[in-house]
Amino acid sequence: MRIAGDTHVGKVRPSNEDALIIEPRMGLYAVLDGMGGASAGDVASQLARDTIREFVLHRRLTLAPAALLEAAIVAGSTAVFTTAQHQPERHGMGTTVVACLVVDAKRVVIGHVGDSRAYLLRDGRLQPLTRDHTIVEELVVRGLLTADEAERHPYKNVLSRNLGAKPETQVDVVELELRPGDRLLLCSDGLYGYASAEAIQYLLGSGDAPEHVARDLIELALRGGGGDNVSTIVIEAPAAAPSSTQVVRTSGAVAWWQRRQRFLQAASDGGLARNPIVRGLAAHEAIDLVAASLCQAIYHDLEKSTGVNVWTFAQTLASGWFERGGDWKAVRGLVDILGASARLVVDDIRAGDARLGFLLDVAVSRALIVVELALGGLLAERLRQIDADLIELHSAAQDTVEHTTQESLALIDIAELTPDGEARAGGDARARASERFIDRPTLPFLRPDRPITSSGESAEVVAAISKTITLARGRLSPRAELVAQILVALETVANDRGGNFATAVQSARELYGVRAVDNAGVMPLFDAFDKARIVTAACVQQLRAPPAIRMRVLRALSTAHQRLVGATTGLVLEAVAPLGERLREIQAVTGTLRDAVAKVERKRADLERRFATIVDPSLPWGARGTTEW
Amino acid sequence: MSDVDLTEAVRVLRDEVLDTVRHGDRDPPGAEVFEALLRALSIGGESVPGLDLALHDAVARRLAWGDREEAVLADAELVFDRLMTSVDRAFRDPDDQMVVIEAATQVAVTVARVVALAAVARAGRDRATRMREEQSQRQLKEVLEKQKATILRLEHELKQDFR
Repeated sequence: MRIAGDTHVGKVRPSNEDALIIEPRMGLYAVLDGMGGASAGDVASQLARDTIREFVLHRRLTLAPAALLEAAIVAGSTAVFTTAQHQPERHGMGTTVVACLVVDAKRVVIGHVGDSRAYLLRDGRLQPLTRDHTIVEELVVRGLLTADEAERHPYKNVLSRNLGAKPETQVDVVELELRPGDRLLLCSDGLYGYASAEAIQYLLGSGDAPEHVARDLIELALRGGGGDNVSTIVIEAPAAAPSSTQVVRTSGAVAWWQRRQRFLQAASDGGLARNPIVRGLAAHEAIDLVAASLCQAIYHDLEKSTGVNVWTFAQTLASGWFERGGDWKAVRGLVDILGASARLVVDDIRAGDARLGFLLDVAVSRALIVVELALGGLLAERLRQIDADLIELHSAAQDTVEHTTQESLALIDIAELTPDGEARAGGDARARASERFIDRPTLPFLRPDRPITSSGESAEVVAAISKTITLARGRLSPRAELVAQILVALETVANDRGGNFATAVQSARELYGVRAVDNAGVMPLFDAFDKARIVTAACVQQLRAPPAIRMRVLRALSTAHQRLVGATTGLVLEAVAPLGERLREIQAVTGTLRDAVAKVERKRADLERRFATIVDPSLPWGARGTTEW
Repeated sequence: MSDVDLTEAVRVLRDEVLDTVRHGDRDPPGAEVFEALLRALSIGGESVPGLDLALHDAVARRLAWGDREEAVLADAELVFDRLMTSVDRAFRDPDDQMVVIEAATQVAVTVARVVALAAVARAGRDRATRMREEQSQRQLKEVLEKQKATILRLEHELKQDFR
């Protein structure tokens, strides 16, 4: 079993009153949350911790596991109670406990008193194993309060049971059969009071090592406010033996990646840099562009048991080459070099670990088959294209002169209608055709330094944007004033050439005005944004312009739309922020008041105790009988 | 419009759009936006059933984990910007590009709406919690006054008995 625990004082409390038991030799783990203030809380939790530990150590061979844990917790309660009786300044101290006794790899016993909790994560689902011993929870169980009312109840944290209130306390004990991969979480209320169950489930099920999970859970509670001491213990049942797929996904992928230099060297030695596809590049650039990319693609595919990265690599590389008129022989040669390099790496791994080598051989062979299939698909596509071209050529030869003339006239019309756009598109295509394939890298993951903003649009596109907005406004009903305002703002933002975010913020402020921060205030604005988006897209489709121009208009307006909506949402967030800050201030005041009430309550209890018991002769006012009320 | 399967064509841009080289392949920032875009493309049309719900779920998950609303919004914006660049490079047919741009805008607007809704809901919860806190403070003050009165009485009686 893998086990880890951690504790933190939190962000508000001056000291840590939580205590942990982590005793792998005895199989005993527990979280204790002390209470009582004025240095009594930590005394209670530590005293109970030591007592429970000692009890289990000495009696574990004589009692059954469930009875042992129950008796140990009762012993802890007796110790705390007795100490509190003998030290008046510690009267009223106590502690909660949630403890787990690991019987064997498949069986545990959980015992608890108070509101510290145990959870089980099984098959990705988090389920509580304990029920809080609080007054409010008891009322909920009896049907006197609903869960919602309990959540809002001012005394929701008042315990109905703890260690130290009575000489003996009632312990809830459950026995549990563990399944491979199950995870148990023991925690104090400092965790679940400041983190959602969903976030706890997410972290516990993340697959990270227990020591990381225990620490991350504490970090989660601190990010949620950290208003209390927080402690966690994570216990993980041994996982079932990993399947071949899991081995390849983890050890296999890592082993492959660790030998990437070997792969690159083998590709280099195999003469990859002399292949016509990468002609014009320096040797190291060729290795980086092709071999490193395939190495990375294989790694990702091993990790996820897919072939999509390798497929994309092969398709992108080969289709780019074929488009430039490249021949099949060069592609075949390149793939052979890469395949042989991959085999060398697999042989290396096999020499160190025969089983892993065998599994990787299968996985890497699969990746290479995926490459062959991708290339086969491209070749088939080329054959189909050649067939289609031949048929078209044959049909064209049968066409009449009249048809040819009509086609020519149509071409002239198009040229007249789109003097700028089509001509430029044709020019672009010719320019692209003249450049070498290697001047235009086509592998997406080799281009980390992509620009993310455009640098303004041509006059033709600006005019088309204006026309689109006019069309869109004409389609609106007179009552849709907000949508009309948004359309105007969209045009302003889309035509701005200076990075357009500042303009978007300014336009968003005008649209937002002085709206209330609630659904009625904010949602109509977003509804209007949606309507504006739909009507704009429809009007772009109606534009009488070449497809390339329409596409640019839609792109400019969409980007403007995104900027405007983002800026508006930013304004909503800006308006909401002060409410949270004010709430935190009020909660701090409530906390101070609660502490004051607890302090005064202790003083009152102390005075009443002086009345209700026989007074100690050593007290200044001397021996007296029991005070009568 | 070409007969390209747009969902698959956009799916191969995942590494580039989510910048997995920098962020790793496991849950890169904005992954939920990209998944929503694929969903929008695979279903198509103006009304995408489940898009709102899926984004609500994904954004709520990130907020529960502790991410700020501003971060979710910024990630969505970055994904949108990178997608625009990638689409420009990867697609030749303007009609295909327009379909993807429309879907991306729809997703971006939906993300912004979901984030704004989450912020407004949080504000509502804050207001309700504030009222409960103020009510608790009033109750605690009353309890405090009563306790103080009891203590004064007990101290007085203790002194009287001692005499």
